[in-house]
Amino acid sequence: MSYEFDFSFLAERWPDFVAGAWLTVQLTVVSITLGLVVGTICALARIYGGPWLKRLVGAYVELIRNTPLLVQIFIVYFGLSSLGLKLSAEVSAVIALVVNSGAYTTEIMRAGIQSIQRTQLEAADCLGLTRLQTILHVVLLPAMERVYPALTSQFVLLMLASSITSQISTEELTATANLVQSDTYRSFEVYIIVAVVYLALSALYRVAFWLIGLVLFARKRKLGTAL
Amino acid sequence: MKTLIASVLVALMSLGATAHADTLDDIRKAGKIRIAIDTAIPPFGMTDDKMQPAGSDVETAQLLAKDLGVQLEIVPTTGPSRIPNLQTNKADLVISTLSITPDRAKVVDFSVPYADHPSVVAGLSSIPIKSYADLDGKKVAVVRGTTQDTDLTREAKGAQLVRYEDDATMALAFASGQVDILATARSLLPAISKKNPGRTAEAKITMQTFYLAIGMRKNEPQLKAWVDNWVKTNLKNGKLAAIYKKYHGIDIPTDQLLKAGS
Repeated sequence: MSYEFDFSFLAERWPDFVAGAWLTVQLTVVSITLGLVVGTICALARIYGGPWLKRLVGAYVELIRNTPLLVQIFIVYFGLSSLGLKLSAEVSAVIALVVNSGAYTTEIMRAGIQSIQRTQLEAADCLGLTRLQTILHVVLLPAMERVYPALTSQFVLLMLASSITSQISTEELTATANLVQSDTYRSFEVYIIVAVVYLALSALYRVAFWLIGLVLFARKRKLGTAL
Repeated sequence: MKTLIASVLVALMSLGATAHADTLDDIRKAGKIRIAIDTAIPPFGMTDDKMQPAGSDVETAQLLAKDLGVQLEIVPTTGPSRIPNLQTNKADLVISTLSITPDRAKVVDFSVPYADHPSVVAGLSSIPIKSYADLDGKKVAVVRGTTQDTDLTREAKGAQLVRYEDDATMALAFASGQVDILATARSLLPAISKKNPGRTAEAKITMQTFYLAIGMRKNEPQLKAWVDNWVKTNLKNGKLAAIYKKYHGIDIPTDQLLKAGS
């Protein structure tokens, strides 16, 4: 091979990569949090809601899961703007990521909720728990514990997918890579660096989710067994 | 799995081999020249109503391949990936509105210029812009990595640059109202304005006039000599001017180009 690696541009450009990675983290932490809220509400609606609500949520889930993320992002950014609603690239990116992540999270949470046995609900009734207490402690938390590995994967995937938002001028990590690449022409080196940064971010997210899991699921922390 | 590894190894070895050989020889031997063209920047590169590649750069490439006596293989590219396409040996030449700049000259070789290319800051007629200072605090769309991007980053410090990946996305951002000002080649303004009749891009500031040249990998003396000679011949006989006129509606300054190339 005749290619000569040259990483010398890093000395000057590393703050750009840090800024890009930071925006990626900000975008995805907000999107993951809101996506989880949307997904949980939609999952509850899909299981306990009336027939029309179920159909509506079902349509949302199928629509989002069967169209590309890039198209969804373009519709939010360019489509809404054509209708007169001008949103910044960052806000458009978060909206698209939340809508997208919400649909996938709905299905994951639905699987968790449906795995809670009827007898658990009856036991909660016998103990005199209110409907809200039952949903929170008997349904949602144990459901989340069951599907937590799947949720973690979905959220890491969302972080990686946020690279697509570089297409609408969000200056996140991938956009930074494209910018530095176009200034320095060291495309191979730039994308190697960015791949390593994404890998580190993924590891960071997984550790963070593991710690959150420890805090959230007291039963698992104490017994160390699967539910 | 074994065959996969073997084929990867063969591919790697052939990559190493071609990088050292003479590209002009390789092109003649293969009977095919790979030219990187961005086909999303009308009228330089685009697809016509029969879904065939067309445009002034496409026709220039077709003429070059014909004169070299080989088949043309168009390598579709985008603005930021034009030079990487050369560096990674995915293309033999780049004919894609590539302006000659000192930065680029460090990593690729340029032929003598075959056309000129003024770039402008343009915007809605309702926005008063006379100088870079008027751009302060305003959103200005550019395509990442273009000369307009580099220039405005340096010259218009107060402007808020919004960077898109290609001309088509930038044009859409202007047409849909995400941005009201953009910096681009003057030749693109008619196509951009056509997207939304309510939003016409009017040239406000002429930034710089560039010379467009054919890009190739460094240290290819034979290829460079042949391409230089081909450009000069076809500037003199008017064929390149005719191609430019057909797509852009204006003449290229042939004498000025020949002088710049000598």
